Amino acid sequence: MSVNQFCNTISEQLNTGILILDIEFNIVEWNRFLEIHAHKETSEVIGKNVFTVFPELPKRWFERKLSSVIQLNTQSFCSWEQRHHLFELSHTRPITTDSHFMAQNCTFLPIESDSKVSHISILIEDVTDVCHYQSKLNKALEELSKANRIDGLTQVFNRKHWEECLDKEFSRARRYDHGLALIMFDLDHFKRLNDTYGHQCGDAVLIETAQKIKSLLRLCDQFGRYGGEEFAAILPETDLVGATDVAERIRKEIEKSVIKYQDKTIQISSSVGVATISKNNKRYEDLISNADVALYEAKASGRNKVCVANNIEYTLE
Amino acid sequence: MNKLNFTEDQQDCLQEIINVAMGQASDQLARYLDTFVYLKVPSIEQVSSKYLSDTINSEAQSVAVVSQGFFGYEGIRGEALLMYQPKDSDRLADLLGYEPDELSVEEQIIDLSSILTTTFLNVFASQINNQMSYSAPRLLFSSNSENKTSSQSSISEHIEHQSFNWDVALKVKITYQVTDYSFNCDMVLLIPESAIINIAAVIDRILEEY
Amino acid sequence: MSLSVLICDDSNMARKQVLRILPEALADNVQLATNGAEALEVLNSQNIDVLFLDLTMPVVDGVGVLQGIKEAGITVKVFVISADIQPEMQTKVLDLGAKAFLRKPVQLDVLNSHLEQHGLL
Repeated sequence: MSVNQFCNTISEQLNTGILILDIEFNIVEWNRFLEIHAHKETSEVIGKNVFTVFPELPKRWFERKLSSVIQLNTQSFCSWEQRHHLFELSHTRPITTDSHFMAQNCTFLPIESDSKVSHISILIEDVTDVCHYQSKLNKALEELSKANRIDGLTQVFNRKHWEECLDKEFSRARRYDHGLALIMFDLDHFKRLNDTYGHQCGDAVLIETAQKIKSLLRLCDQFGRYGGEEFAAILPETDLVGATDVAERIRKEIEKSVIKYQDKTIQISSSVGVATISKNNKRYEDLISNADVALYEAKASGRNKVCVANNIEYTLE
Repeated sequence: MNKLNFTEDQQDCLQEIINVAMGQASDQLARYLDTFVYLKVPSIEQVSSKYLSDTINSEAQSVAVVSQGFFGYEGIRGEALLMYQPKDSDRLADLLGYEPDELSVEEQIIDLSSILTTTFLNVFASQINNQMSYSAPRLLFSSNSENKTSSQSSISEHIEHQSFNWDVALKVKITYQVTDYSFNCDMVLLIPESAIINIAAVIDRILEEY
Repeated sequence: MSLSVLICDDSNMARKQVLRILPEALADNVQLATNGAEALEVLNSQNIDVLFLDLTMPVVDGVGVLQGIKEAGITVKVFVISADIQPEMQTKVLDLGAKAFLRKPVQLDVLNSHLEQHGLL
């Protein structure tokens, strides 16, 4: 067997497509892999322009890509991560993946004769497998990162992520001398509710209340479950009057709303503490403690009310 | 910064080969991109794996990094890192001769990286009678990546998370400037210890010819 | 009659590269300089016919040498040999009186044709 025959045999059995074009982009040669996966007769392909045989190719992009190979006499690449496929080819896992066409990594190689690029060899690798598993991995990572941020029960931010948000907002507000307000909510007599109606009922109340509060906040506000029956909202660019207004509105809505659980109707109220950033606050934790003190104040002075930090009780009207 | 374990003659020879390769690469790029590409005189130094992230971080708060492996005869191989600054990608499609809607920003960055890396290394290789092959370029990190799955916020973090199986590498840093597009980026070639010895051998052979 | 030649480049290898391909007529009387300041010293004290000049050099660069030659009114045929091929740079050195701009690595036939053009071969 001559070296040439070896090469031919290998190229015919290779699980990689080989497509040779001249510099006018006419197909000079291809291998069995492409013949099979493109479902086209070799005799109908050789000598034809690549855009005639593969009309799905993005023509302008493809021409510019190949011009870099010819002009710079250098290899070029195209990964499935940027373009799932260039050529519409069938693949070898039609049953166990949801991919319609073969995902491809393509390599464009210049072929020189007489120190000028005369042809371009395109190698087409089937990476449907890689693509399939990478997509699964990405999805899993996405879910994982979501699970890391979201409270499983109420579907609002969890404490850890919420605090990270506060940390960022706090630094930003300090750096640019912007306003920043914090509202902390605590559902009144929640333990009693749990004891009377059961934990599942308590859970339903938490879920509904969390959604209610969230719906009353702006998109830019960040809302999370601080722990137990305690929730907290970060209001960027907001002063004390604005924040207290929002807090009062939410308190009233919670008081008004009727939660249905099985055949029971439940009403609940909340105690609310409000604090805004001040020059004395060095760390975001200071802001939390201020709001916490106000919240305690609201609890201690009868519940179902809004208190603001610095022991100033705020009443509407 | 570590001194190179090269003799003065070896360093002089390597620097000259790189300078010449830069000139030719810049000429080829200018023709292809239809605008002048200036390559700034490179720094060549030795870095230890421990300080690689410090070295790179002090130079670039990069928003995107593309890596491409290269390998030639005589055991010459390494990895090229292309590092982009914020705003660098504004007019990339235009520079590359594509319509912006023909390809994503990520693909533009990868495409340009591949062109810059291979053009330079091809001429470098021909200077030393060698020929380079390349792995497909990969986006290691991009801060505006849509499908970002990692929380790493910089190239140095990316590098810090790697454990290397080399101690010392040769680092060649070349800055590309495209004035017409107010664009510039850094290319850092990292050549592992084992390949440095091979480069030194090639340089010695060239020096003998003179 | 042999011509006096000065090769000015900070790279030892680059100087050797030029030396290696110098035609016989120019190879008898060759001096070397490793930067622009050294080159100007030689040019100011001796009669040099041909100068092969690099651009990017420490102390005094190639452009500095060309300016020095102009100011002192020295007669010497300068061939710039550089890897820095910016079009503005080429125009600049030709404006400053260089005979030609040759790209690194300079090839034998290219060098000869330029030397011939200027009556040195």
